[in-house]
Amino acid sequence: MKAAMEPQLYVHTWRFLMVGVLCHLWVFGQDLTNVWILILLLLALACLRWRFALPLWTVVIDVCLCLVYAPYTTIGYYGLALPVFELAVRGRVLIAVLPFAILFLYEATPGLLFLFLLQALFVGLFAWAALGNQHSYKLEVDKQRKARYELERVKLELLEASESASQQAELMERYRIARQLHDHLGHDLTGASLALQAYVHMQEPEEARELLEEVQKRLERSTVNLRETVHNLTPVARIGVESLENVAQQFQYAAIRFHRSGDMLLVSAYQWTLLEACLKEALTNVARHSNATQVRVELQVTASIVRLLIHDNGTMTQPSLAGSGLRSLQMRARAMGGSFSISRDDGYLLVCVLPLSKEGAG
Amino acid sequence: MTVFRFVFLRSFRNTTNLIFLTLFPLVCIFMPQGDPWPVLPYGYQLFGVFLLFVSIRLASYIQVDRMSGVVKRLSIAPLSHASYLSQHLLAYLLIIMLQCVILVYGGVLYGQPLIQPFLLLILYISYSLAALAIALAWITLFRNKELAFFGFMSFVFLVSVLGGIIVPVSMFPEWLARIAVLFPTYWLAEGQLWIVYGNELGDFLFVNVVLWLYALVFMIIGSTRKLR
Repeated sequence: MKAAMEPQLYVHTWRFLMVGVLCHLWVFGQDLTNVWILILLLLALACLRWRFALPLWTVVIDVCLCLVYAPYTTIGYYGLALPVFELAVRGRVLIAVLPFAILFLYEATPGLLFLFLLQALFVGLFAWAALGNQHSYKLEVDKQRKARYELERVKLELLEASESASQQAELMERYRIARQLHDHLGHDLTGASLALQAYVHMQEPEEARELLEEVQKRLERSTVNLRETVHNLTPVARIGVESLENVAQQFQYAAIRFHRSGDMLLVSAYQWTLLEACLKEALTNVARHSNATQVRVELQVTASIVRLLIHDNGTMTQPSLAGSGLRSLQMRARAMGGSFSISRDDGYLLVCVLPLSKEGAG
Repeated sequence: MTVFRFVFLRSFRNTTNLIFLTLFPLVCIFMPQGDPWPVLPYGYQLFGVFLLFVSIRLASYIQVDRMSGVVKRLSIAPLSHASYLSQHLLAYLLIIMLQCVILVYGGVLYGQPLIQPFLLLILYISYSLAALAIALAWITLFRNKELAFFGFMSFVFLVSVLGGIIVPVSMFPEWLARIAVLFPTYWLAEGQLWIVYGNELGDFLFVNVVLWLYALVFMIIGSTRKLR
């Protein structure tokens, strides 16, 4: 069916059809057997054009052959339809009109011949337009394909950059915590430790008491500092599994059962982002397209993978093709080396599996 | 010329093939003369039909190569399709030419009235080329070797009857006689008539040119790896 839609097929068919018309004219006409050689030569040229892309100047051969035979047989004039068609197919309309002039010069009443050449001209022009359109469509498709590949490449690069930024942020945070502990807590604790060591060797009770008070002050200050540091470090926004739980709790369109298992700390920050996006997309789809009353969300973390499963009991049939949101998630999951699959056999099932790095989130 | 040598040997490797390719021309030599038709002995008339069968038999090796994936594998070898095809056709043409030589000069030795044996040989060679090209184009239309062969048998019967090899064209009604000209077998019969009665060499050349044109047309069609 695809081949039948190719304009080039019709161009070839028309050529052979014209040779068939010439054969018909010869069989039912009164022409000499010698004229058969003209038809064979035109057929050979048509075959060559079918197999190879002959240059345009080769139509001169067709014209010469037809003109040589024209004084002896009208098939010579009918044969001009082939060069007219070839010229029209290449868009050389003005040159294609020239054989018409030959026709009027040598034939007093062209009549049917004129119409025959005219149809060749129009079919040729139509084929030229069709081939031109096909060519431009192919170029457009190539351009779009290139743009799509470029977009996918940029997306992958962004994902990699996101992963890298996540790791950098983690390292920076570790450094900040270490500095905080060193600057505020470490200083007082070291002082207190040294004071306690000195206290052991103290002879004077008064000095020992002052030293002990100093130690007490330092330890109290350390406790306050530790509390403040921990308070400052605690994130305000929900992250990780809490974020997923929060999304599930906020959902009001259906009852949600959320189960989780495994060590959630093994999952990296950038993976949580994707898992959260998966959950949000699935719940949005439930709210917009499904008649589900219950949704089951399972988050399982093992030593090597994290698996998020969202399953609803909806019965509405959804479009078979994944939407752009799901396609994007699928691509992101693949970019992370995981998989993202959908099933509509029994309700709507969405499973996202991501591999965990050996180092884990830490 | 590795392919040429291989094809040449491959054609004679099979004993049935060997007998088929050598025995039939010998049988044709000893066939009697008809009166008043055909103008040459029966064997020389039927040899035209036989050449079509030989052509399909030889060309079927190319079909086997196409179907078994040899042609596909060759496409990644340092051998062009044109070279593969031309060496095949050259080998086949050489085999058929040998048969023509055996038939014509065997007939001369036996004493058959061939009038102009050398020109008859040229006519047979031109016709062989056309027959080979037709067979090549024919196998391009089919995927199955047996189907192609049996289809070609029907085709051979048709062109033999309508082309004036089995029945003289002069017996046909006028419109059928015009259609007969379309078949290459007509030009073989026409060439044989010239050899017996002809005077002007131009007419004989014309017959040969027509046969070469048939060969060219069908060879272009047959040169495709497969019809799309």
